[in-house]
Amino acid sequence: MRKPFAVLTLGVLPALACGGSTPEPTPAAPAASTAAPAAPAAPAAPAAGASTITGKVSFEGTLPAPEKVKTSADPKCQAMHPQGLDKKVVDGKDGGLANAFVWLKSGVSGSYPAPAAPVVLNQEGCEYHPHIITAQTGQAITIKNDDDTLHNIHPKPTTNKEFNIGQPRKGMEASRSFDKQEVMIPVGCDVHPWMRSYISVVDHPFFAVTKEDGTFEIKNVPPGDYEVEVIHEKLKNQVQKVSVKANTPAKADFAFKG
Amino acid sequence: MPDFDRWRHRFGVLTAGATLILIFIGGLVTSMEAGLSVPDWPLSYGMVFPPMVGNVFYEHGHRMAASLVGFFTLVLAFWTWRRESRRGVRRLAWGALAAVITQGLLGGITVLTFLFPPISIMHACLAQTFLCLTVALAYSTSREWLSPATRVLDTAGLRPAAFTAVGAVYVQLVLGAVMRHLDAGLAIPTFPLAFGRLVPPLDDPHVAIHFAHRVGAVAVVVALARLAWTAWASRQARFRRLAALLLGLGAVQVTLGALTVLSGKAVYPTTLHVMTGAAILAGSFLTALRAWRLLERPAAPDRLPVAAPETARS
Repeated sequence: MRKPFAVLTLGVLPALACGGSTPEPTPAAPAASTAAPAAPAAPAAPAAGASTITGKVSFEGTLPAPEKVKTSADPKCQAMHPQGLDKKVVDGKDGGLANAFVWLKSGVSGSYPAPAAPVVLNQEGCEYHPHIITAQTGQAITIKNDDDTLHNIHPKPTTNKEFNIGQPRKGMEASRSFDKQEVMIPVGCDVHPWMRSYISVVDHPFFAVTKEDGTFEIKNVPPGDYEVEVIHEKLKNQVQKVSVKANTPAKADFAFKG
Repeated sequence: MPDFDRWRHRFGVLTAGATLILIFIGGLVTSMEAGLSVPDWPLSYGMVFPPMVGNVFYEHGHRMAASLVGFFTLVLAFWTWRRESRRGVRRLAWGALAAVITQGLLGGITVLTFLFPPISIMHACLAQTFLCLTVALAYSTSREWLSPATRVLDTAGLRPAAFTAVGAVYVQLVLGAVMRHLDAGLAIPTFPLAFGRLVPPLDDPHVAIHFAHRVGAVAVVVALARLAWTAWASRQARFRRLAALLLGLGAVQVTLGALTVLSGKAVYPTTLHVMTGAAILAGSFLTALRAWRLLERPAAPDRLPVAAPETARS
């Protein structure tokens, strides 16, 4: 009885230490994709009488001072940021609020196939670019590592499937998609805790991210009544009703207080 | 009774000590939120030894330390199998090996399931159980176990006090693991009162498990105080020293628990709290084993000598 058990344990323990699985990404293979997103389609033609919703998300008050983040835990990140990183969560200029996600929360009807072109989430300088990623449901998200250090990419959705993939070498790419609508999914790198971004996945193409001056533009919106929501990672969401008339631009401004 | 095997005993002590350090490192992984910094398992980023940057240092360091403890346990199991004449001790060694393998698998599964709380909680609890197994292996090969002095009557009730302490500490560690892995460590952010009250509203499960851990702390302190009291009453120096040490560790542990809350779960108070809890369990378990080995139940007092003051070194 003892001998087979001994053989078994001798076999298993080294496996615990060394293992045998392969890593998620393909090293030094920039074009390698790791998942098959839903089949993309050509962009749908704008509906008759479609208009644009424009607006500005303002921030009233003084912007918080940037948080200084030490990057010394990784010598390669530190080399890129010898003085550390200035983390600006609430940011903007000219009274505008940058990096707020704006979308038509309700009122949209019909189906909108995902665009063929992927959106890109890049890891560069031990930061995510862009900070807010937007995609349609089923649209491919290409995740790239442009850093000469390892990263893991770990979104924490609540309705979609969670994943955690490693990209230990520069030039690696992976592709993922989300099959359910979910906004502001936090994405983090557990290796470098200061790295954070958000992915918003929407069933339709009517969304935008505010520019540095807080302005945004949602194009090709069919006539109708909508709820427009603005979501910022640190501030309370705001919603307002907007009526879009045929071939008439609509406006929706929002104001946040610091 | 077999002869004393000095080196095997020392290796058992080394394994138990390494396990305690491993529990500290494992606690550090959770405190640093580094558990998913290596997304694959059993390899790390497809490598045996990835660059130890950022939080990979903690997670892969934990894997390396765990492999070392696994190797120690493997050596100890085969050493025991070859040299040990007592079947019970051989089984104990195989049990420890099975436990450390299971623990490694649970560690891998918890990574692959994104720290699924039930798996992480089992991983935490099995770590404590495995520590007790290594303590038992080390003690069962000690000179004290192999050639005990004449057993004396447990008139002070040390045996039940020690076993009660082990039970209380283990239950408290389970509550602590549940609280930690459900992220309820700051569910009650004030200390010593809970939201300004002795008993907070317990509708929220996070508050409830946190409060249960605080109640458990009171139970553990009472159990350790009782153990210290009975050890003092037993007039057995070896028990007095260990029980006093455990009571002191209990005071340190309560302080660390308070600091954990008041510091907003700062890494070192929180992690030392985990390790001190494990040390208290190991110490209580050792006390229970010694009481079991050295003291006789007072069931047949007419056949046993009454406990005499003991001065010899343990």
